[in-house]
Amino acid sequence: MEKLIEQLKAQIIEALNFEDMTPADIDTDAPLFGEGLGLDSIDALELIMLMDREYGIKLSDPKAGKAIFQSVRTMAEYIQANRTK
Amino acid sequence: MVYCIGHSIISPLGEGSQANVQAVRAGRSGLKLHTDRFADVEPFCASLFDTPQEFVPLCVRSVEDALDMAVSRLPLAIGSLPETIFILSTTKGDNLDLLTPAQAIARHFGNPNPPVVVSNACTSGVCAQITAKRLLDAGMYQHAIVIGCDLQTRFIVSGFQSFKALSPEPCRPFSPDRQGLNLGEAVATAIYSNQQSAISNQPSWILEAGSIHNDANHLSAPSRTGEGAYRCLTDVMAGVTPADIDLIGVHGTGTLYNDDMETVAIERAGLQDVPKSVLKPYFGHTMGAAGIVETIIGLETLGKGTFIKMLSGFGGVNAAIRLTCK
Amino acid sequence: MQVIHDIEITTTSVLLDGKTIAVEQTGDKLLVELYRRYVGDYPKFFKMDTLSRLGFIAAELLLKSQEPMANSQQPTVDAVILANRSASIKNDTDYLATITEGNYYPSPALFVYTLPNIVTGEIAIWHHIQGETSFYILNSPEELKPIVASTLTAKHSTALVGWCECSKQDNFYAKMQLIWRN
Repeated sequence: MEKLIEQLKAQIIEALNFEDMTPADIDTDAPLFGEGLGLDSIDALELIMLMDREYGIKLSDPKAGKAIFQSVRTMAEYIQANRTK
Repeated sequence: MVYCIGHSIISPLGEGSQANVQAVRAGRSGLKLHTDRFADVEPFCASLFDTPQEFVPLCVRSVEDALDMAVSRLPLAIGSLPETIFILSTTKGDNLDLLTPAQAIARHFGNPNPPVVVSNACTSGVCAQITAKRLLDAGMYQHAIVIGCDLQTRFIVSGFQSFKALSPEPCRPFSPDRQGLNLGEAVATAIYSNQQSAISNQPSWILEAGSIHNDANHLSAPSRTGEGAYRCLTDVMAGVTPADIDLIGVHGTGTLYNDDMETVAIERAGLQDVPKSVLKPYFGHTMGAAGIVETIIGLETLGKGTFIKMLSGFGGVNAAIRLTCK
Repeated sequence: MQVIHDIEITTTSVLLDGKTIAVEQTGDKLLVELYRRYVGDYPKFFKMDTLSRLGFIAAELLLKSQEPMANSQQPTVDAVILANRSASIKNDTDYLATITEGNYYPSPALFVYTLPNIVTGEIAIWHHIQGETSFYILNSPEELKPIVASTLTAKHSTALVGWCECSKQDNFYAKMQLIWRN
């Protein structure tokens, strides 16, 4: 799980172009949206694409993303339970 | 004054403005589910030509159709005149090349002036008519041939799907359970002139006002307060009252936020009691063509009166025009 | 038409009101260097495509980073009117790479920049400009002049205008002005 979390942080940084950030800068339990990393709606769509590309998870309803994208930890848990690659 | 002296629509619903107006009156829609048009994309509902069209020949056909209507009012073909400017509204052009097709169209008609391409996202078709009005009002040209065209590609459909913005069923704008959006293909041409002689004393539509405003809010989501659209409506309402307006052609993509935003902007501008029309359920969202297709249908269904056409698009941009025919 | 400020950005140089601004980097990194020096607190910059970064930085230098104008406030910008030859082709190409057959993962973050007018939207958001934003595709910067002249009226009198071009990676050119119709 810890390995997946670290890998996911690096993938998020790359996918969302967080130029000045390292995985250590992202708090595993901090909210991804709002006051945490401050992601917006396009970022959410990009995370949906990331889950498809890296883990073979297709999320057709963007509203379902709300619970999954609460934090890096919730996202990692969802990936572990649903990944197809 | 800037007069509309000719127009044309070619869409999956028909060839020529009249055929398209009749199709809309008959309640025909070009929207269909497409499952194997492009590789990899999910099934999508759109209004597409049965046979894939080539961009430049399609535009040329539409200009010729519009010229047929215009030259009956003018002594000679105006396409080749140095007093005529070609303006193309498109967002994706011919396979992502926007200027070359415009040059090819102008060259086809022997026009000596460099063409102007307006690429202002979904508002391009209204913005191109505003550009025409400004150039004619300033006396830089006498006639403007304004063409709007976009053809659907795997590029566009995949992108809108990555936005989760495409509905697999026909759109239902402004509905409590609204659905949207659907893409569409079309070409439309509107010919404008500042020459009184071009209208030969017949009642003609005059392009009275145009306005473009940015929400300055978000690239891909409309402003909750409809700021840009509200300002556009206020601008084009200068000198008239809500009672003077016979119809407003709204954007009406059917997405939750677009239709909400337009409702807010229209109410803020005091135009809630004016009849509205929305054409996406017939044509889909024809992108660079939408502003011209939807203007022509508005004028033709009204016959005379005062018409406002409004659009909003990516990049936070909004645009509106007002036309009057007495 | 009066030019208030004028900027030219190439892949190796920056010229503001005719004076050279010393830079260390070249190409796409030059725009990041300028961002760090003159903005620094807007991480959305890193999400932008090169065309948007270029227009954004040029607008920033025109509007904010210089000596305050004598006895006057910064003007309110009524319109942002930009043009180029290649539309959004550089970013379009990047997006195309995400939808190759056999490796089909269309990127929404790239797709949003596959319209040339997005740069005008980025400038409008950052500077809170609720006036007109327009983008034209033309053969040369000269062709924008009659369009700008016919746009500016008594109501729309101050505008950010010019050429903002990026045809491929590490290949861009901006020549923009803050102008005033007096």
